[in-house]
Amino acid sequence: MHIMEGFLPWQWCLVWWIVALPCLMLGIYQLKRVLAADREALPLLGVTGGFIFILSSLKLPSVTGSCSHPTGTGLSTISFGPWITAVVCAIVLLFQSLFLAHGGLSVLGANIVSMGIVGPLVGYTFYRLLRDTSVNIYITVFLVTALADIFTYVTTSLELALAYPAESGGFVSSFILFLGIFAVTQVPLAIVEGIVLALVFKYIIALKPDILIRLKIFSEEKINAARNEI
Amino acid sequence: MKFKYTLEVLTVIAIVAFCVVFLYTSLTMSGAEFAGSDNVGSGLIAKLSRTPLENFKPLITQWKPPSGEIESSLFAFQAAVGGILVGGVFGYWIGQKKKA
Repeated sequence: MHIMEGFLPWQWCLVWWIVALPCLMLGIYQLKRVLAADREALPLLGVTGGFIFILSSLKLPSVTGSCSHPTGTGLSTISFGPWITAVVCAIVLLFQSLFLAHGGLSVLGANIVSMGIVGPLVGYTFYRLLRDTSVNIYITVFLVTALADIFTYVTTSLELALAYPAESGGFVSSFILFLGIFAVTQVPLAIVEGIVLALVFKYIIALKPDILIRLKIFSEEKINAARNEI
Repeated sequence: MKFKYTLEVLTVIAIVAFCVVFLYTSLTMSGAEFAGSDNVGSGLIAKLSRTPLENFKPLITQWKPPSGEIESSLFAFQAAVGGILVGGVFGYWIGQKKKA
């Protein structure tokens, strides 16, 4: 999902930075508030953020014959919402731009918007829709994670298609071409990521159900039901 | 007794299926180089904008890992940081649970 340094015209770099900055500021503000209210939220932030570090460093091969990496943003999105997730992603993406030549400082805004904002925002919408229904917690985690992953790559395709519309067919045909590269490669990875993070959530529920209830991530009834299932 | 490891079994099946798909793709697909999709994307940008790939210069000067080995060690470092966070917190929670 990284747009490489130099591959986005400066006007678009600026646009995505302007979108990303207020979201990051909101995230930092929310992070301070959450941690001030409950210090026990910090370990949960460590686990959910840790998975973003691990999963976004794994380049996995896919059906299209190219490699891509999962994003790992699902758990953090469910636990802390998209804005705090954007802050964690910004840290990872900054590390990758400075030391790994993956992405870069000018395109960092665009990469934060795709991995840290739009992907998690789509996932978060589904979490909010499913939270108070009878849908099983693990199915919710699976869907949120897989969708946050896929929509990160859909957003990257969108950002590139806006900057590079095709000569014939314009934005739409170029969007489809970029989707073919990014989103199709990502489908199998998103499915595996969704299942793995659902399993991780099972262990979080087993070890620390009270923090999930205190932060009102899922209701007590739902968590108790999940402990007795699978 | 109720079987308690359904999700674990599903995870293993998903990972094994993923590996089988990879093996199948790498054996049957011609021209599968397993390059990063980021680079494939950059290639498409060059094609769409009719600009040779080497004409794209970084807007902000950037340090590049001098070799694939150094790059992979930095990626391993990133994953290790995540692994320490995850393992540390799970251990902390197990300790809290035992104490309670």
